[in-house]
Amino acid sequence: MPEKDKVYTIFDRPRGLRFIGLLQMAFGVVGLLATIGLVVASFFGSSELPGGIGYVYALLLFVGVSLPCLTIGNYVDDLRRNAVIAQIIYSLAAMGLVGLFLFMRGLQYMWTVPLFEFEIVVAIGNLSALIVVSQAFVILYLILAWSNIVPPAGAKVIRDRGEARRYERGLVPLPFTPAVLASDGMTELSEEDSRRVLDVRKEFTAEGMAVLCSNCGGATPLTKVNRNRLVCDFCGVTLGVSSIFVPCENHPEYLAATTCAVCGNHFCRKCLTAQEPPVDTRWAGSTIFMCRNCFEGRYRPAVTTTSLVIPVDKLFSTAGARFSKVGGIYRRFLGAYGGVMKHLWRLPLEMLSAIGKGGGGGGNDNCAGALIMMVIIIIAIPLIAGLLLLAGAIVIIPFLFYAGLIAVTIEAIKVIRKTDFQSIDVVRIQSIVEKKMPKQKESKLRPATRSWEASAMDVAWTRRDEERRRRSEGKQPAQSFWEERY
Amino acid sequence: MSATPDMISCPVCGGKVLIEFDDKVSHCGYCASPVLGPSQSRNCTNHPDVLAKEVCHVCGDLLCEECVEKRVGDYGGKLLTIVNCTRPDCIAASDWAKPLNEEYQRLANMEWADRADNIILRVTGGGAVIMMIFELIFILGMLFMQYFTSLGSLFPTWVVAGVVIPGLPIIVLMVMGNLLAAFLLQTALQVYVHERQLGSGVLLLFVLIIEAVFLLWRGLYFNLRQLPDPTFLLTLLSAFIIGAFLILIGSIGAIYIGNKKRIQLKRAREKLGLSA
Repeated sequence: MPEKDKVYTIFDRPRGLRFIGLLQMAFGVVGLLATIGLVVASFFGSSELPGGIGYVYALLLFVGVSLPCLTIGNYVDDLRRNAVIAQIIYSLAAMGLVGLFLFMRGLQYMWTVPLFEFEIVVAIGNLSALIVVSQAFVILYLILAWSNIVPPAGAKVIRDRGEARRYERGLVPLPFTPAVLASDGMTELSEEDSRRVLDVRKEFTAEGMAVLCSNCGGATPLTKVNRNRLVCDFCGVTLGVSSIFVPCENHPEYLAATTCAVCGNHFCRKCLTAQEPPVDTRWAGSTIFMCRNCFEGRYRPAVTTTSLVIPVDKLFSTAGARFSKVGGIYRRFLGAYGGVMKHLWRLPLEMLSAIGKGGGGGGNDNCAGALIMMVIIIIAIPLIAGLLLLAGAIVIIPFLFYAGLIAVTIEAIKVIRKTDFQSIDVVRIQSIVEKKMPKQKESKLRPATRSWEASAMDVAWTRRDEERRRRSEGKQPAQSFWEERY
Repeated sequence: MSATPDMISCPVCGGKVLIEFDDKVSHCGYCASPVLGPSQSRNCTNHPDVLAKEVCHVCGDLLCEECVEKRVGDYGGKLLTIVNCTRPDCIAASDWAKPLNEEYQRLANMEWADRADNIILRVTGGGAVIMMIFELIFILGMLFMQYFTSLGSLFPTWVVAGVVIPGLPIIVLMVMGNLLAAFLLQTALQVYVHERQLGSGVLLLFVLIIEAVFLLWRGLYFNLRQLPDPTFLLTLLSAFIIGAFLILIGSIGAIYIGNKKRIQLKRAREKLGLSA
């Protein structure tokens, strides 16, 4: 497979690239904190920053450090060519500026930064040296690992973790290009040629039963089938002939493309919609096709595919779940806060011990100050956060709850008006016209009707992982439905 | 432009199909749809004179209707129809799915009700949506009158632990009304499913009666007749009457059609000697 046709996922990024992204983000966060500090100090009229110069420094720091570091750091580890180029340019500029600073001020240069009643001495010369070294490392790494971190032009990169995970496990087939393909079935036609094909194509033929082209949607008479292949009259793509040689249930003028997976009847591309594959190794990597009746859950032996009906017991679960979300947020906050506290503990304790060792005048005041700081860190912050969340919840939850009810009503109106059935034929032409991949439409009602899906997915993935492991260990290969039978 | 000799496009999805066999079906690399091999006969494997209609999901042989066994199998809650031939190994490989009783399927076919079901869904759904929207408008209007106008004094108050909380009855009773309307809406959508049509029709009628009584009681309890401008009350009443009428008609239709389906299924089971 040519490199440009290969699909990359977010899991293909090297660890070094991830580290660079985090490093840049860290620089960005430090820059943001420094910006806020400068603004606050200027606002309170610090004598160190006369005449509003603090605001100028803050702006420079924000525009020069915080914003670019946060932006580039956010994108550079996503396998993006432009972000990597931007990172190299930024690192070069940073190295140049910091190097100049070092040249002028030397390695021993220090800054004394006020912090409330305290002062922190920052070895800014050493910090600058660290920046120079780290940025040099960044540039070197990005250049040396270029081929691993920058996918070829035109290659598809799946950045969404969920989708990438499904792709890695073989459950997401490759999407098609949203353009008409040339007769080789590979290359895309130009916009002008595509338009011409769409303009001339016909969906009917006077020569009896026809096959609808999966590329352009045109109808080519079945009489032109040669050795079970058919060249589309309009786009020239060579189509295979489906193994069923019967007309569509709803359109006798078309040859059926395939069977509906649920009812087993034969339908053309106008009557079928595509769904994610059932999670089973027998069907892995395949899409299933369903007719409108089955999609709407109207086929009696298999009504479980319904997309229309919301189970009553699930009605308020979505809206009601919002109540517990606030509690969840607070719980997560406390967990994260507890994690940070482990490290924060050291600071007041060290301060206390330093005060104890100092033994000078004003010790009581310092001690009281340190105790107040501890009280703030340990009790006041979580308490204030809890109160803020509670206050927010009292206002926000009813709004969210009612937003949920309104969403349910809107969905119901859509259902009543028209179901979300979209035929593969319509979707294909729409994607060509709109020049974008058709979005997988996930009805808001579907998750409630497919409660089995998550657990079944887990089981299937575990089974698949086990199968892979067994194969890699050289044991007897697991059964595979298609591969084994054909 | 010439076609790549060994690569053709899937007639279903357009994916690339690599022709692996000349005289057997190959599969689309994208959707796994079976595609005939270039020199493969289109006739049934067992009956060379009969055009094939199905393909065995196990061995890939082409089959005519006479050679086909249809089964319905459960994949994690999704029921799919599969087809296998009558070879013992193919039957054994398909035994995870239960054979489809085609006679029962024919007797239980409910396509006759499609048109009626569509109308019932839209009538009940439309009525329920009207009820839902006007319940939402009802609560907003009441809250507005309670807290932003002098009309708040018309409405009753509740005392909780010795404290008078203005607007509490409105909040509690109106939220209950909203939930009831939402429940009504959900039930109204259930009438589209064959199996639930009769039950949801009856439930819909029952909930409609409760909603109507509760709505009228709330109007009386909140002294809405005392409002100086009757527009609010009249608008609500009109919406309520239209919504309730639609639901009433729809639910009666659902009960009627649902009952016919129940009888149809009962007769089908009796005819084939199946247990209920």
